Amino acid sequence: MEATAIHALLQSRFGDAVLDYVDSYEKGSLVAAGRVGEIATFLRDDATLGFESLMSLTGLDWDGYDATGKGKSVDILGYDELGRPETSDRVGDGDLGVAYALYSPRHGHKHTLFVRVPRAAPEVASVAAVWPTAEWHEREAWDLVGIRFAGHPDLRRILLDDAWEGHPLRKDYAMPGAWQGVPLDGRDYAAGKWTEADVTLPDDVKRPEDAKLPDTGNQG
Amino acid sequence: MTQDRKDYVESTTPPAGYDPLREQCLDFHVAEDLAAMAGSDDKNFILTTVDNLFDWARLSSVWPVTFGLACCAIEMMAASATRYDIDRFGAGAFRATPRQADLMIVSGTVTAKMATRLKRIYDQMPEPKWVVAMGSCAIGGGPYFKYGYHVVKGVDFIVPVDVYIPGCPPRPEVLLDGLMRLQDKIRGRRGAAKLPKWVADYARKIPYVNR
Amino acid sequence: MSETATGRGWAEQDVRRELHSELLEINMGPQHPATHGVLRLLVRTDGEIVHGVTAHIGYLHRCAEKIAEGCDWRQWMVYTDRFDYLAPINMNFGYAVAVERMLGVQVPERAEHIRVICAELQRIASHLIAIGTFGLDMGAWTPLLYCFREREEILNILERLTGGRMLYNYFDIGGLRFDAYEGFERDVLDFVNIMEQKIPEYDTLLSYNKIFIERTADVGVIDVATCRAYGCTGPVLRGAGVPFDCRKDDPYSIYDRFEFDIPYGEGEQGTVGDCWDRYMVRMREMYESCRIIRQAVDALPGGPVKAEDLKKLVKVPQGSLYTRTESSKGEIGYHIFADGGSKPFRTKVRSPSFSNLHVIEKVGPGMMLSDLVATVGSLDIVLGEIDR
Repeated sequence: MEATAIHALLQSRFGDAVLDYVDSYEKGSLVAAGRVGEIATFLRDDATLGFESLMSLTGLDWDGYDATGKGKSVDILGYDELGRPETSDRVGDGDLGVAYALYSPRHGHKHTLFVRVPRAAPEVASVAAVWPTAEWHEREAWDLVGIRFAGHPDLRRILLDDAWEGHPLRKDYAMPGAWQGVPLDGRDYAAGKWTEADVTLPDDVKRPEDAKLPDTGNQG
Repeated sequence: MTQDRKDYVESTTPPAGYDPLREQCLDFHVAEDLAAMAGSDDKNFILTTVDNLFDWARLSSVWPVTFGLACCAIEMMAASATRYDIDRFGAGAFRATPRQADLMIVSGTVTAKMATRLKRIYDQMPEPKWVVAMGSCAIGGGPYFKYGYHVVKGVDFIVPVDVYIPGCPPRPEVLLDGLMRLQDKIRGRRGAAKLPKWVADYARKIPYVNR
Repeated sequence: MSETATGRGWAEQDVRRELHSELLEINMGPQHPATHGVLRLLVRTDGEIVHGVTAHIGYLHRCAEKIAEGCDWRQWMVYTDRFDYLAPINMNFGYAVAVERMLGVQVPERAEHIRVICAELQRIASHLIAIGTFGLDMGAWTPLLYCFREREEILNILERLTGGRMLYNYFDIGGLRFDAYEGFERDVLDFVNIMEQKIPEYDTLLSYNKIFIERTADVGVIDVATCRAYGCTGPVLRGAGVPFDCRKDDPYSIYDRFEFDIPYGEGEQGTVGDCWDRYMVRMREMYESCRIIRQAVDALPGGPVKAEDLKKLVKVPQGSLYTRTESSKGEIGYHIFADGGSKPFRTKVRSPSFSNLHVIEKVGPGMMLSDLVATVGSLDIVLGEIDR
C-alpha cells in the first residue's frame, strides 16, 4: 500500500489527530502525541495495514528549530583538549520528538510515524502494549532524550544509571565532570592538577594538523 | 632522517658487560643467581633468593581474571586461542573469579557504570596483583574522549596500572609483548623494554599529557 | 513422590509440591563468563528454576549517538566499526548504504562486489565466534579453538585488504577507501574452498554431538509471534521458522543478483525455534555465504572503487530515512536525520542484539538456570551494539 493511501486511511479514521503528511526520504505521518497509542493499535490490527513490526523508535531533540521546522542546528558541547567540560549559557528551546519506523511483514510496506511534543511537557502515549519491543526503545528515549511515555509499564533509565542527571542526547547537554565519585573528565583528581603548561608542545614539534603527511593515495 | 638513523645505530651498540645469551634466556636466571649467591657472603642470601624464586614462579604463572569489556576482549580471546596461544607464557588460565587471579587485563572501554564494578573486582583480587590497560580506551578514553559523557578517560583514574598496551584494538602479539613487559616488571627490571633512541625521542614528543 | 510423606526429615519435606522456597535473587554479571560481555542479568530463582529475568544493560554505553552529532558524516564510520566488533564490516555496510541512499550516490560496481565479499567473509567470521562461544557456554572448549583457527584466516585476508586486523574502517561513503590488493580473489577463493570442507568438521564436532543436542534441543523456544512482537531478527527469527532476510526481502547493494537460500529452523532435533535451530541456522548460513562469495568473485569487475562526484566533506540534504541491512546478528537499522549540514543531526542505531536480548525477559521465566545460559548463548548478543 502506498504511503499516501496509508496516510489517507489514518486521516479518515482519526481525523484531526493526524496532523500532516511527511514527505522526506521516507514517507510518514505526523500525529498527535496523546493518541499515538490508539493509532498504533489500529496500524497493527487493521488487515490491510498489518504493521506487526516496529523496527525502530527514535527520540529526537529539535533544539534550534521552531514548530514549523524552520531554524538552524546548534552545536553540541563536549570536552576540550584538556578534558574539561565545555560550558555554554544557551538554554535549549524547540520541541522534542519521536519517530516510529514501522514495517508490515505481511504486505511488505513501510510507514513512519512522527510525533512532536513541547520541551516543557514532553509526554507521549506509550506503544509498549502494542509492540512489546517498544518497551526498551521507549526506556532508551526517556533515558537519552528525556521524553516521558504515558502508560509505559516500567519507565526507568536503561543505558545510564538510575541516579544519572540530565538527558545526554539533548543538544544543550553539558558533559559531566564526575559521577558519584567516578571521574569522567580528564582531570587527575588525586594529583589535583592539570594545567595548560602540561600540554604545551616542545618547540620543534608541530601539531598534527600542521605536519605534512606523505600522500599515500589512500586519503579521503 | 639520516641523523635519526645514525642515532638509532649508535643506541643499539651494546653497553659494557652486555651478555646477549644471558639477556635471551631470561627465565633461567634463578639458577644462575642461586649459584652466584651460594658462593657469596651476602647476609640476605635466603630472603633475596626466596624472593627471586617467588617472583620467578609468579611471572611464569600470571593468571588473568576473565574480564572482557569490549572490542579488545575479542583480541584477548584470540590471544588465548589457537594461533597465539597465551598459554605458552603461563597466562592462559583465565579465572572466572577474581579471588584466584593475579592479573586484570582491562580490555576495553571503562564506563561510569562499569568503573565501580571494576574497582570491586580489583579489590577482590589477592595481592600481589597487576593491571594491564589494553587498548586506547583503557589508556585514555581513546576515540570516545571528545563526547564520551559516560566514558572514563583512562582506567588509571580507577585502579593503578602496570602496563599500557596501545592500539585500537592491540594485536594479540602486542598483548603478548605487554605480558612479557609485565613479566619483566615482576622480575624486578623496570623499563626493561629498551627502545631505540630515535623511537624514544619521538615518543617523548607526542603531545599527550605526561601523567 | 507422595504428598503424604511428612515428618521424616527435611529432604522429604522439601519436595512437597505446595511448599515453595523463598525466591533467591542472583546477579549474573556484569562480570560473568557466560554473559558474552558486560551484561547483567538479575535472575530470581527458586532453586534452579528461573522465575524472572531482568536484563540490566548500559555497562558499555559509549555515547556513539552523541558523537555522531559532533563529527562529520565520513568520520562516524569509525564508530560504526565498534558497535558489533565481531562483524564491523556489516556495521559499516549499513551506515554506508544509509548515507548513500540519502545522497543518491551510485556506488561503482567493483566497490559493490568487494563490499559483498567482505561482508560475507565477516559474516562467516562472526558466526564462527557465535558457534565457538555457544559451545563454550555448553561446556565444550575445543570447538572454540577450531573456530578461531578459521577466523584467523579470514582476518588475514581482511588485514591484507584493509590494514586493520579487527576493526577495519574500510567502507567509505560512496565506495571503499582503496582498491583491493593483487591476488585478493585468489586468497578469497582459497579460503572458501577450505571453509566448505571445514563445516562438516564442526558438524561432527559439535552439531550432532548427543550431549550438545540434549543441552540445546527443546530449550529456549522462541516462537514467531514472540519474535515479531519483540522485534527479533536474524538467526533468532529464522530459527523460529521464518525465512526472512533483509538481503532478500529488503534488498540493498547488489544482493538481488546472487543466488542463495535462506536457512530456517525446522525443529529437526526438537521444537521449532529452540536453541539448536538457531545454532544450525548460523551453521548453514556459512555455506550460503560461501556461495555468495564465489558468485561475487566470479563477477568481480574492474574499475574505480569510489564514487567520483562526491566531495570530501559530505553534506546530506535535509530529511530522514530508516535504512536496514542484514548483519550477522540480524537487522541493523540506521534511522538518520539530516539537517542539510556536514554533521548528522541525529543518528539512531537500531541494533539487532538490543531487540534479541529483550526477548530473554519474556522467555526466561520457567526454564532452568543452565538453560538460561544456553538461551543467552544462542541469541548471540554483542554488548557493543546493545549499549552503543
